[in-house]
Amino acid sequence: MASAAVWNADNGFVDGILRGYKSGILNSSHYLNLTQCETVEGMKYISSAGGADLNENVRLQLSATDYGNFLQNEPSPISTSTISEKLTQRLVAEFDFLRTQAVQPLAKFLDYITYSYMIDNVVLLITGTLHERDTHELLDRCHPLGVFDTMPALCVATTVSELYNTVLIETPLAPYFANCLSAQDLDELNIEIIRNTLYKAYLEDFYDFCQKIGGPTAEIMGDILQFEADRRTINITINSFGTELPKEDRKKLYPNIGRLFPEGNAALATADDIDQVKSACEVFSEYLIFFDQAVGESTMEDKFFAHEVFLNRLAWQQQFHFGTFYAYVKLKEQEIRNIVWISECISQNQKDRISSYISIF
Amino acid sequence: MSESTLFRSEEMSLVQLYIPSEIAQPTVTELGELGLVQFRDLNPDVNAFQRSFVSEIRRLDEMERFFEKQLEKSEINTRALTTATYYARARSAQEIDDLEERLREHEVRILQMNTSHEKLQRKYLQLTELRHVLRETAVFFEQAESRQDSIRNLFDNQETDTAPLLERDVEQANFDGTGLNLGYVTGVISKDRLPTFQRVLWRSLRGNLYMNSAEIDEPITDPVTDEVLEKNVFIIFAHGREIISKIKKISESLGGTIYSIDESPDKRRDELLEVTSRIEDLHNVLSNTNQTRRAELLKIAENLTAWFTIVKKEKAIYHAMNLFNYDATRKCLIAEGWCATRDIPVVQNALRTATESSGSNVSSILTELRTRKKPPTFHRTNKFTEGFQSIIDAYGIARYREVNPGLFTLITFPFLFAVMFGDTGHGALMLIFALYLVLNEKKLARQEQDEIFSMFFYGRYIILLMSIFSLYTGALYNDVFSQSLTLFKTGFAWPSNFTTGQTVEAISLNQTYAFGLDPTWHGADNALLFTNSYKMKQAIIIGVVHMTFAICLNIFNHIYYGNKMFVWLEFLPQILFMESIFGYLICLILYKWSVNWWELDASGNHIRNSPPSLLNTLIYMFLQPGYVDPKDQLFPGQGPLQMFLILIAVVCVPWMLLGKPYYLKARHSKHQYETVAGDEDVTFDHEEEQDGHTSANEHHAIDDEEEEEFEFSEEMIHQSIHTIEFCLNCISNTASYLRLWALSLAHAQLSTVLWEMTLKIWFYYTGALAVVGLVFGFSLWFVLTCAILLGMEGLSAFLHALRLHWVEFAGKHYLGDGYKFEPFSFAQALSTQ
Repeated sequence: MASAAVWNADNGFVDGILRGYKSGILNSSHYLNLTQCETVEGMKYISSAGGADLNENVRLQLSATDYGNFLQNEPSPISTSTISEKLTQRLVAEFDFLRTQAVQPLAKFLDYITYSYMIDNVVLLITGTLHERDTHELLDRCHPLGVFDTMPALCVATTVSELYNTVLIETPLAPYFANCLSAQDLDELNIEIIRNTLYKAYLEDFYDFCQKIGGPTAEIMGDILQFEADRRTINITINSFGTELPKEDRKKLYPNIGRLFPEGNAALATADDIDQVKSACEVFSEYLIFFDQAVGESTMEDKFFAHEVFLNRLAWQQQFHFGTFYAYVKLKEQEIRNIVWISECISQNQKDRISSYISIF
Repeated sequence: MSESTLFRSEEMSLVQLYIPSEIAQPTVTELGELGLVQFRDLNPDVNAFQRSFVSEIRRLDEMERFFEKQLEKSEINTRALTTATYYARARSAQEIDDLEERLREHEVRILQMNTSHEKLQRKYLQLTELRHVLRETAVFFEQAESRQDSIRNLFDNQETDTAPLLERDVEQANFDGTGLNLGYVTGVISKDRLPTFQRVLWRSLRGNLYMNSAEIDEPITDPVTDEVLEKNVFIIFAHGREIISKIKKISESLGGTIYSIDESPDKRRDELLEVTSRIEDLHNVLSNTNQTRRAELLKIAENLTAWFTIVKKEKAIYHAMNLFNYDATRKCLIAEGWCATRDIPVVQNALRTATESSGSNVSSILTELRTRKKPPTFHRTNKFTEGFQSIIDAYGIARYREVNPGLFTLITFPFLFAVMFGDTGHGALMLIFALYLVLNEKKLARQEQDEIFSMFFYGRYIILLMSIFSLYTGALYNDVFSQSLTLFKTGFAWPSNFTTGQTVEAISLNQTYAFGLDPTWHGADNALLFTNSYKMKQAIIIGVVHMTFAICLNIFNHIYYGNKMFVWLEFLPQILFMESIFGYLICLILYKWSVNWWELDASGNHIRNSPPSLLNTLIYMFLQPGYVDPKDQLFPGQGPLQMFLILIAVVCVPWMLLGKPYYLKARHSKHQYETVAGDEDVTFDHEEEQDGHTSANEHHAIDDEEEEEFEFSEEMIHQSIHTIEFCLNCISNTASYLRLWALSLAHAQLSTVLWEMTLKIWFYYTGALAVVGLVFGFSLWFVLTCAILLGMEGLSAFLHALRLHWVEFAGKHYLGDGYKFEPFSFAQALSTQ
């Protein structure tokens, strides 16, 4: 209660802004309009013009929402990647505004959100360099939220220790990286291991940070991050089937938080096939549906996303906590995925699959 | 057909147009030029992008998109909209295609020029950077040269001291052969990246480098974003090929550009010269490209406004056509819209013209529909009445065919304003301003106006009338810049023999000043006492008359809407209530004015008691009904009369409260028995529409005004609120009219103060000081008169007059729940975009 009393003094403004942003998240009727970009009346004019023109309609629809005229100055035909790029730019602009307005500990919290993108970017760059891709092309593909100053220099590094010593040492990821230094060569498997080790360390650190803040933040972020950890654990387990990753190493990659920890993790560590994974997760009825292949067409990945959206949506039910900031970024990301999915479906004429987006509100 | 007046809004008809689709576009063009029809949306359920003519609109949007930005970038102004382009006719489909083709051609050409310009600029950028690299590194090399010896010495010393033999030998050979064999990398990197660059280099090479950097003082423009970049030249000396290539890789990944330059100073010098000359050439080419691009853009700018006018008109046409419906065979467009009944022949004529000019033999058909939908309110205004009508519209759009207070506002508004702004001098200044606006209106209308000026310009006729009325009231108050004029023979004389400081009393000459206030009052001690009493009473009289008039307007509404009973049930008790209290009060005021209270009888005694206070009379009328203190009596029989009036007022309250609801209840229960017959009527209506068109029919049913559910309790609550509000408002609104007095007093006092403080003081001086002082004092006085008395006081009087019209006047009768007639017209479409 004490935190609630003074919460607005520091965070009221940003929270107000954020809740304003939140009301701009597309709702189901917006999505309905978007998917309708190819039905009845529109068909007549659109089918003749082809796919590119369909995205035109996505543009027209989006201009009626909070996105306004953000695609106004793009010459048509407009491509899906442009839409996604512009949407991301907008999210980043909003996030940057929030970040510049935030005071501690919210500022730190927002920084934590960017760390996961930084991890993704780092891994993307090392993988790309490994496959000798063009640096600039790689840099363009990095998520703008996870960009840091020295990031481009990652391309120079050839060994793990070099990676650490030249670039990562001055980034906030440095402490997470300390555990990876044992790996010597940069090959596919090692990169995957590095990614998961980094993520594990990041999740645990973030979780601790949220618990330190306490109050509703700890509670809500706890739920979200625990699910995130469980999702990673399950993913790692399933993806490791049929690879040369030893089980002991696999166990080391599991985050030491989450609802599955420790018993579920121990069970997963010894799992050899999907049924064993399923039985390990059975304790939690919410997790059961992830393995339920019979229901609908959606993949496990999509079900994870749906559950994540559900948790993030719950975050808005409470006041005076930071969880909403995390939830906003994640929901907005999901929204971008949805829009990209819809416009992809439209431009590739896959109208039957168009409705498998995850509606947020 | 009745003549159109401002008293009621125009009679409207719902018309249906069948337009053959091949002549739809010219027909709508014709209607757009006319601006007489407001189209209804016949596809309200259809999304914006699913409408029939979306693709056409998008095409036009595309046409608009490109050039504005280009012109803005090169800072070229388009030609302002002239009347000629304003009336540029919307074009046929063929012409639109041509226009699109032409625009596209221009766009391609501009784009080409842009790309070549960008390419050149990039080249220019590279060369400039290279020049800087060459220039700056020359300095570094010189420094390095001079330092090399000392470095070598250092190395030598070290080696002799500590280094192992073998290694020394190898390196020694190197040193001896080519001097200090340091490789180097030179390049350019943006300034904010430099610290990061240095850090990364330091860490990855473990400090095995010598780096130097210098700022480029010349701003470098990025060809893509047009932003000015700040860049630094760097040179890095390091040892070993591996390391050099690593440095190169790092600098490239961090966005630096590497320029390799030659080792020998001579070659560098030559290169510098060459680069400089190439920059010169490039600069010329660049400015040439710029010139041609600018010329092209200028050519476009010439015509752009005309083109855009066409494009905007076309867009407006298609937006209007999106509201239409196709008939079953898709050969006809069906449009529905509101149109003033008087204008139907004009519209029909326009349809005929469009058909003829497009050479089609199938003409459009216009039919009038019977409907129960609420028509829009359309007041036909001209430039004079427009401003006044908008004062009323700002409060609320009149219900269809309701008595329009705008008509009365024409006179009452300037009059009430002038009551508060009574000063002939100020009125004259305002008149000059208003005349300037009115006489030059054609010229001023063409000019670009800022927001404030356009506001004044819009209300120029209001200002004109306001100033004329304040001339009149100023003459009544006998105020000219707070001074008075003696135009006629005054009714008082001052005694001639008095000593300084003595209070003297004017002697009445038994005659009345011919018009307005006697100038003798000016400067008298009791002037304020007199004018206050006069203006206060005047305010009450004006107020009560104004409100009584407003109540009387209800009769027209009741009769027009077929509620004759309401005249007896609502209007009558209202007017009786009002008049028995406040009507009586103004009678008292007038009576008190008309009586000579100081009249003496033959023996020199007062015939009458001293004049009683009217305020107390009114208060005691309620506190002691039927009794009047003989000391305060105005006229004999006052007590019983007041008793009677109070009785009337008291009876009026339940009359107002109960009469209307019970009447409505009785009417409703009678109506219920008749509904069967009524229903048949409704179905007939619908069937008639059914054979017209089917799809639009569905929402007709929704749109149609449903018979309102009658709920007695609701009506009762509504009426009791209404009654209480009316009774209380009679009192508070009458008091509210006292603002006429207050504002007028404030205005007079303020102008007196201003006169005395700024100008009058200089009249006491003589000589040079008086000249300077008067010039200074007058300018100060004049500026403040214009700013405070005309500007601020005028605005405040305007606002108070506005309030009196909106609350006190309109509140008594105006329903104001209609919606405005907004016809589809090009003039509108062009002015809003």
